[in-house]
Amino acid sequence: MRAEEMGKVTDRMRLLLAVSSLIFLAVLAISPFKDYRREWKQYKRSYLGFAQSRPDTKRLTADYTPDIDQIWLPGMNVVDRCTTCHQGITQPSLADNSVPQPFRAHPPIPHNVREWGCTICHRGQGPATEVAEAHTSTLAWEQPVLPTHFIQASCGTCHQSDLPQTPQLARGRQLLAELNCQGCHKMQGIERPAMLGPDLSSIGTKVSREWIYKWLKEPRTIVDKDGNVTVNGYETEEEPRMPKFRLTETELRALTAYLGVQKAKSIAPYRISPAVVVAWSKNPELISQGELRFRQMFCTTCHPLAVTRAGETKLIGGDIGPELTKVGSKVNPDWLIAWLRDPQAYLPHTRMPRYGWSDDDLYKVTQYITTKLVDSDLLSDVPKLDPPTDEEIQLGRRLFVEKGCASCHVLEGLNPQRDFGPDLSALGGKNASELEFGTAKVPHNLVAYIQAKLQDPVSVNPAARMPQYNWNQVDRDAVTTALLSMKGPPPTSALQNLVVPLKEPSFRATGSFADLYERYKCYTCHKFNGYGGNLAPDLSYEGSRAERQWLVGFLKSPETLRPTLILRMPQFNMSDKDATTLADYISTVLLHPAVNPATTDAKQFTPAMATLGKQLYEVKFQCQSCHTIGGSGGYVGPNLTNAGGWLTPAWIAAWLRNPQELVPDSIEPRRNFTNQEITALTAYLMTLRARIKPKRTAFHTGALALRLGAGR
Amino acid sequence: MSISNLAIAALLIVALSTASGCRKHAETTKADPLLAAYDSEPDWNDSTKMISLGYQQSQGKRVFYQYCVWCHADSTPAGPSNRSNLTPVPPLLDDGSTLNSESDEYLENMITLGGSAMGKSAMMPPYGRALSAEEIRSVIAFTRAIAEPPYQPAGRPGSQYSTR
Repeated sequence: MRAEEMGKVTDRMRLLLAVSSLIFLAVLAISPFKDYRREWKQYKRSYLGFAQSRPDTKRLTADYTPDIDQIWLPGMNVVDRCTTCHQGITQPSLADNSVPQPFRAHPPIPHNVREWGCTICHRGQGPATEVAEAHTSTLAWEQPVLPTHFIQASCGTCHQSDLPQTPQLARGRQLLAELNCQGCHKMQGIERPAMLGPDLSSIGTKVSREWIYKWLKEPRTIVDKDGNVTVNGYETEEEPRMPKFRLTETELRALTAYLGVQKAKSIAPYRISPAVVVAWSKNPELISQGELRFRQMFCTTCHPLAVTRAGETKLIGGDIGPELTKVGSKVNPDWLIAWLRDPQAYLPHTRMPRYGWSDDDLYKVTQYITTKLVDSDLLSDVPKLDPPTDEEIQLGRRLFVEKGCASCHVLEGLNPQRDFGPDLSALGGKNASELEFGTAKVPHNLVAYIQAKLQDPVSVNPAARMPQYNWNQVDRDAVTTALLSMKGPPPTSALQNLVVPLKEPSFRATGSFADLYERYKCYTCHKFNGYGGNLAPDLSYEGSRAERQWLVGFLKSPETLRPTLILRMPQFNMSDKDATTLADYISTVLLHPAVNPATTDAKQFTPAMATLGKQLYEVKFQCQSCHTIGGSGGYVGPNLTNAGGWLTPAWIAAWLRNPQELVPDSIEPRRNFTNQEITALTAYLMTLRARIKPKRTAFHTGALALRLGAGR
Repeated sequence: MSISNLAIAALLIVALSTASGCRKHAETTKADPLLAAYDSEPDWNDSTKMISLGYQQSQGKRVFYQYCVWCHADSTPAGPSNRSNLTPVPPLLDDGSTLNSESDEYLENMITLGGSAMGKSAMMPPYGRALSAEEIRSVIAFTRAIAEPPYQPAGRPGSQYSTR
């Protein structure tokens, strides 16, 4: 470059300067342009446009601002900017599915969105202002929005007691408790149940080593398409309790050797009176009479049994006790007799009631079980097992502890290990990066992890000690929901105040009633002040409901009040003394404060009142659509044929006034009866006195009854 | 001109890369229709088809299976149904050809006040004092969700219940 040309501005340089200035300006403009184009601002503007197209524009835009909207709840750790885009969330006129997201209103729920924000239930990143940041898992935020299918988990984070609105969560919690998950895992809000797996201290006196081998290998009852029940035992496919461990042949041999020699308490064979044996042993009716007694005692209320009818095999009966289809090939006959006479002598915590047996019944029923409920092929695929060696027994003992068997099963001399599995009490709040996915081909998020782990524990961790449970999709989703609800203790004291504590049911049976209550295990099926099972009616106020004399008769020979029920009260062969003691206790203690016997005097009822009541029953209110009297009527409510002999007049009157006050979840509609109508209906019902003839038993109806309350 | 061309090109590249670099790419997950549903109910006529339910509809399902199923379905949690026992025979809850033509208000009154108040059979009892208004509305939402043929809100822009 020559000297005179230095400092001389050429056209080229001017052009270059102009272009770069323009580019510089353009680059500067990018920032305000990008700000204008922000996702949330676009949603803000399009909401305005959308509101213009609706008839109630004014209401929809009443609190519109062009800025970020925020729900800030300092006490609850909530900073939610979700309403910046979800602007119609509280507008009732935008509830319809035709309203495009994100403007649609939230469906009605018990909580107010403005009061609680969004992320407490839906998770996601509250302060985010971009769609992806708010909803999905990003590098900086690993708590994506919870899929709606599992949203009940969020209810459970605060509501430790079960809500009627969250059946999935309740089912999940129930499964976690029933399957004794807390035997190995620490969990939030689920207590270790009193009933664990069976006590194995004397298992050698009950079953053979071969049976244990088969059981450990495939601990489920499988009914295949030909109706063959593959394994007999405790589990059915729908209600698996004993999980499947992945055991090698050596491990199977060692564990069976160890368990086979567990005979802490030897059984003393009970001698059935020789006169009974002589009288029955040659009688061709023996087995069919045994079967009849078996059915009459309603063993199937608790025990399922595979029944083949018209080529189709179904498990029929309850799921409280073990399945009995092939129990005759499973247990030692001497053990069976000893067990039936006194189950608690073998298993102190068993829910099996202690029936009153005559030698006659005992002989017939055990002969039926050991002759009919058998399968000679049951153990045919078990290899020949030689007498156990000391090495096998030692290895078995070690494996019993290592595999975690002691977490569910009691065995004399072995203590359960504490915290055998990982702590799950804060699993629901974990980030995906805290989880081990191994080589599993599942999406890396918490929900997918829990589902994969539940389906097959080794899929995400080949070294997992957790056994395999066999659940259906519905139950797996329910357990996933319950696990997602456990987010550990709330981070702030204000949040701790939100947690609704678990209701602690309490019922303490007293006096001689307590002994009978334990003997007949009333609480396995009935509830008393919130404590007990839900298979049968709640008896907390039974003393106000039923006449004492009726109770005595019912306890001695239970009859069916609801024609559709297939699972029925077993016949315990109760003595007069036992029935009277129970009825006396029920009539004096289990009373409802709203039922005052003094207010309703049956002596004042006149035939005219009863006639009016009958007319009201049949014509005005048409109660027969749900209740049966005599031979006709509906199956929904209890049979009223013997209402006068069964119910107290005070209960009937109080019930007609407000059924839900006496039984909160009763399906009987509460009507607006006048006092005169109540008196007339009560007078009519008190005239109904007749013994209900027992209908045909469960086995003939062919339908499998679900638990009362299923589907709720 | 080659230097200026190069300079312009370089500046453009810088500007463009700055602009595009600001854009964050977050991974997005594919939407699973069942995962978006609060609950679901198998189609009554074709159990392989699942109907997704929202919160209100699923509350309706819960109320239905506790209170209504006994007479408004052919099978119940306890086995046999009371439906065949009644004259006139109550409609199945998914019977769209009967129920779709009834307005939300009519059904609400029917459940709340009972059959006799609406000039129908007294066999349908009133549930207005046993169920809350919210529960009754949820049952109607469930009815609309499972209706066959499907329920179309008939030109009523303000209908509270959406179709599936």
